[in-house]
Amino acid sequence: MTKLQNFTKGIIRENPVLILILGTCPALATSTGVESALGMGVAATVVLLCSNIVISALRRIIPDKVRIPCYIVLIAGFVTMVQMLVKAFAPALDESLGIYLPLIVVNCIILGRAEMFANKNGIIDSAIDALGMGAGFTLALFLMATIREVFGNGTFLGMEIPVLVDNNISILTMAPGGFFVFGLLIAIVNKFGKEKPKKKEFGCAGCPSAALCHGGDCAGKEENND
Amino acid sequence: MTKFIIILLSAVFINNYVLSRFLGICPFLGVSKKLDSATGMSCAVIFVMLMATAATWPIQMYLLNPNGLGYLQTIVFILVIAALVQLVEIVLKRYIPALHKSLGVYLPLITTNCAVLGVTILNIDEGYTFAEAMVNSLGSGLGFFLAMVMFSGVRSKLEGADIPKCFSGLPITLIAASITSLSFLGFGGVVENLFA
Amino acid sequence: MKKNVKEIITPIAVLACICLVVTALLAYINLVTSPIITEAEEKAAAEARAEVLSEADSFTLLDVENLPEEVVEVYKADNDAGYVFILTTKGYGGDMKLICGIKSDGTIEKSQTLSHSETSGLGSKTADEPYRSQYVGKTADTINEVDAISGATISSNAYKKAIKGALDAYNIVKEAK
Repeated sequence: MTKLQNFTKGIIRENPVLILILGTCPALATSTGVESALGMGVAATVVLLCSNIVISALRRIIPDKVRIPCYIVLIAGFVTMVQMLVKAFAPALDESLGIYLPLIVVNCIILGRAEMFANKNGIIDSAIDALGMGAGFTLALFLMATIREVFGNGTFLGMEIPVLVDNNISILTMAPGGFFVFGLLIAIVNKFGKEKPKKKEFGCAGCPSAALCHGGDCAGKEENND
Repeated sequence: MTKFIIILLSAVFINNYVLSRFLGICPFLGVSKKLDSATGMSCAVIFVMLMATAATWPIQMYLLNPNGLGYLQTIVFILVIAALVQLVEIVLKRYIPALHKSLGVYLPLITTNCAVLGVTILNIDEGYTFAEAMVNSLGSGLGFFLAMVMFSGVRSKLEGADIPKCFSGLPITLIAASITSLSFLGFGGVVENLFA
Repeated sequence: MKKNVKEIITPIAVLACICLVVTALLAYINLVTSPIITEAEEKAAAEARAEVLSEADSFTLLDVENLPEEVVEVYKADNDAGYVFILTTKGYGGDMKLICGIKSDGTIEKSQTLSHSETSGLGSKTADEPYRSQYVGKTADTINEVDAISGATISSNAYKKAIKGALDAYNIVKEAK
């Protein structure tokens, strides 16, 4: 696999949100506006990049037994750093992301990439993988947020769009609209996607805690096989 | 007393963790296919939420805040939750094997469940007292339980439905979730005004 | 036996090292960013206060007891131009945080929404100009003339309740002086 392929796979073929169905919580919660969606995307990408590089660099030092706690500590550390930097230099973004900023720690994408990619590959490959996945995450959030903000609020990045602003469908910016737009997007991807999405759609297979589940005795996994 | 009721009811209905705050979506979509696994998972979540709040609230108030270490919140909370989940699993396995059998499989999954970390952080952000924080955690857990159980019912109806091919699987599940969360919108603004 | 000890100690040592390094890094970043954060917060708060009470030059935080439950903080203008109240109230979607400036003659100069979680397009209109400007110049006697936004009665009532709290608090602090 070339470096370019390594980068682009995260954007389209293995898009973390739309194909792998990871990181659904922040995708639904922060896509009410384009601005907060982009903020979330960038913040998660920075954390993902840092954690992938460091975990890849330390992959020979970290003992297998305690690798999950080690990853969690590293990721939580980076999240806290991003949190403090955002608070200091972009307080408005901190306000709009609210609780979802510290919750990047439990974003499945980050732990998932650490477990599936960074601890097996070199530093440069891991960094590229992180950038690709981060770009895919940001792109998916941007798409969802655009639909929700343009039709739900009649604005784009806060600028009013004529006609739409007087005929907005405000339910789209509320919780049900989030689920609805997300479902619609995945249906579109299913329809036009060149390859069939992998059967392991959601639950344990893509979930990073699958590693903690001692393999077979995970209920989610059992269900996904049927 | 009214305050506790308001916190409890708003955590269950208005700010429902799954349907209006989008926390804990992964288990909500992944484990809600069958009623018994949905119940098992939710019970485990309620249990861990209560334990986690009981552990993290005193840590934040008596350990981190007095020493000016508030910025370590995220890292300390996630470690405490991870350790707690492991501990609970070991204790259950050793002393109450029957309960471990029904809840045990869901416990490791909860470490990275954002609802648990979310409730502990929100309890601090909202400035709740210890009792209020515990009530809020209970309400959040019950809200998660309610959403899971309701939704597993909805999904069992979806099984036999004839839907377009590209919608089968996750998309139709999300659309169903959307309608379920629509039904919860009606609770908005009700609880605060119940006792007004 | 020797190998066992190594197997147990190494993971613990590595984990502890990582924890230490991460914590040290965080402490350093906190040292750098916390003054910036406090400064930015204070600046934003000062700007918000100046916005709602334009004639005031500087403010002092008052410590008054028995205020209505909506009132969080009371600031007094040092040149006696009036008072600024920070308020919270329960709206439709959760807490609403408002700021309201009351001039020394008891009329409202301006009120603003600091943060809210109301429905966008309905309750969120309480933060917009047409609704807000209804409160300008109102006193405790004329506050009931403010019309609610149709379709957003709960949000509007919550807003009005908070502003009423500010007016009550105004009388309390005035008498206390």
